[in-house]
Order: sequence, then C-alpha cells, then structure tokens
Amino acid sequence: MSHEQLQREMADALRAEDPVAALRALAEAPSVDPAIRSALLAADPDGLRLTALLVAKLRFERVIRGSSAAGDWFDRDAAAFSAAFRRYHAEVPPSEPFPAAEAKSFLAWAAAHQEDAPKSTRSLR
Amino acid sequence: MTTIQVGFVLQPDEEMLGLTEPLLELADYFEVAPETTWFEAPDGRLLENGFHRRFLQIGERTGKPFVAHGVGLSLGSFGRAEWRRRARWLRRLREDQARFRYRWYTDHLGATVMGGQVVALPVALPMTEAFAAQVRRVLRAAQAVVPDVGLENTAPTVLFGQPLEEPAFIASALARPRTHLLLDLHNLHTVAVNYGVDPDAYLARLDLGKVIEIHVSGGSWSDPAWLPGGRSLRLDSHDGAAPDEVLALLERVAPRCPNLRGITLERMEGTVGAPDVAVLAAELKHLHGVARSLS
Repeated sequence: MSHEQLQREMADALRAEDPVAALRALAEAPSVDPAIRSALLAADPDGLRLTALLVAKLRFERVIRGSSAAGDWFDRDAAAFSAAFRRYHAEVPPSEPFPAAEAKSFLAWAAAHQEDAPKSTRSLR
Repeated sequence: MTTIQVGFVLQPDEEMLGLTEPLLELADYFEVAPETTWFEAPDGRLLENGFHRRFLQIGERTGKPFVAHGVGLSLGSFGRAEWRRRARWLRRLREDQARFRYRWYTDHLGATVMGGQVVALPVALPMTEAFAAQVRRVLRAAQAVVPDVGLENTAPTVLFGQPLEEPAFIASALARPRTHLLLDLHNLHTVAVNYGVDPDAYLARLDLGKVIEIHVSGGSWSDPAWLPGGRSLRLDSHDGAAPDEVLALLERVAPRCPNLRGITLERMEGTVGAPDVAVLAAELKHLHGVARSLS
C-alpha cells in the first residue's frame, strides 16, 4: 500500500462510525507494512476517538464560519443542521481547507439530498 | 548566544486585536499563520483577506518583524496532488514573503491533509524513516521561499508510536541545514500528561541545538462526555494562561538551547476577554525576564 493510500484510509477511519474498529481493520490489511501495522495498532483508542471528534468539529466550524446561510440554518434548527452535517461528514470526504468552499460544498450536498437547507448560499470571507 | 526576543501571536480576530493592542509594545516580533490572511477565490487563487493588510499595518506602525507559523503546508502528507496543492501554497507564501519578510517559517509535525482529505488538525505521523524523509522533502521545498524553516512538536490526541521515540524522529526530519525545531512546551506538557511520560526524559533525547523558537501557552481538558468511558484528555487549545508546569519547563530548557532566537506567547482567537489582557501582559513580562537572563 502506498503512503498516500495509507493516509487516505486513515482519514476514512477518522470519519467512520467506529474509528477504532476501522483503524484496526486497516492495520490488519495484508498490504500494510509491518512497521506501520505496529504503529497503528499501538494507537490509544480514546485518543483516536477524540481525534475523530476534533476532525469533525473543525469541519463543522468551517461550515458555520464559511456561510451566513449555514449559520442561519444552525440558529434556526440546530438539531436538523447537526443531523445533516453528520450525514455529510460521513458521506463526503473533506477536500476544502477554507471555510467558504467547505460551506458551499455542504449546502450543495444538503440541497441535493433535500435536506432543510436554506435557498441562499451566500458566503462570508 | 544572540539576543533572545519575545513574540506575541496575531490572530484573525478583530475583537482580540483590539483588546490586545496595548500588548504590542511588549512584543519584539509578531507571529502570523500565513493562511489566516488568505481566502480562496472561485478560480482557486489564494488572495489576501482583510487581516493581511491589518497585520502588515501593525508591522509598519510598530517597526517590528514577523515570523510565520502555519498549519496548512502539511509536512507529512504524501501524493502528487499534495505537491500540486503545496506548490500553490508556496507561491502565495512567496508573494507574502516579499512584504512580511518572515524571519523563519515553521509548520506542525503531522499531516493536515491525508490522501487528499483535509483533516485540518495535524494528525500524528507513524514514526518511520519514510515519513521523516517526506518531512525533509517538504521543508526543503519551503526553503525555496523562506531559507530558515522548521517544524513544531505537536500534541496529537493520538500517537502512532511511543512519545519518547519522537525526538529521534524529529532529528531525522530535521537533518538538513537551516531546518529548525519550534519547541512548544505546552504541547510537550500535554503529551506528558496524556501519555504518562516524563517531559524531562523527552527533552534529554532532543537535540536542543536545533531549537530556534519556544512556544508558551495554556490549554484545557476535553469534556468527559465526549468519550464513552468519561475520560478526559488535555488539549493544546491555547485558550488560557500558561500553567506553572509549562513555565517551569521554560526555566529548565531555555538555557540549554544555544541557538534559541525567540520565545513566543500564543493564544487562540476567540479566547481573549478584557480580564485576560492583564494576564497576557504579565506572561509577556515574565518571558522577557527569562529572555534577559539568557541573553
């Protein structure tokens, strides 16, 4: 397994419903180098769960900061917004480092999935 | 030993910039995360946001220099797409360098992009030679823009290796000339607390001759409700006063860093209220006392 593929699968594990099980499955794949396997299996389960949570939290913050429409939606119905974000985070790999682009991606996904997204996708900088 | 200066972070936060205005005279230099001064245009170009001009104006008004400390270069990421992304990052940084004249440029040890996915916080690297070599290659690319570059020891909530193996990994990553270590003492404290490691044992293994800058900051604990077992881990959240353990580490380690050039006080945006300003002022004065004792 190339290092790029390894990192992609580690990132997938961090978005999995059970990051600990996902990373363990990755570590035990036959194509993983033995030294990498040992390193992955040594990961502290709580630390891994917390890392996954922080990755999601930072993405959530990028969405909120990146669009007034997203922020308005959150203010109007935090539960629906959060549920939509959870599905988005699980389904769509994060590819945008800047808030405006991440928010635009989220709102487009929500519209395509007939989530309760606002019509406006005006972005902030 | 050259004169050691004291730095303060500039964050993209108008309220914090206003509140901390009186602290600018207590700093000898300012730390900036270059990417916090950019936004991405629809065509993918990285353009200056309002904080770019704001920070430059502070530099012009005070006559004080800048150092750069980013998070988005992603020192440990692999892949062709990553090199294309980094090339765009470094082109923008080159434009900034002409105006900010960063004395050195550091980023975090880890990967903030993994296989094309933006994880945003520096995820720890498996401590193998292949990953150290990748960090060396990325730092070398950055040296084409800023000749003195480096990495910061981080406080990942998960490690892929043993904490006391990290100094050797860092030594390998920093094997090239003019590549430096930014020693973050709160990050070291955090790893020590979370993993039950003696921070002095970590420091004893570290090549302190590589240290160009030290970071001092505070942090907090994760909410016990976040983890199924109710465990709490310390976070490098930079949201409070530096704890006594960090200040004690500074007293012990700074005299052992012969190439140290700056001690920087960090605080995260959104975490400064009016009562914090006096605390930050006292911290900056304390850092000046340490710096004077060494110069």
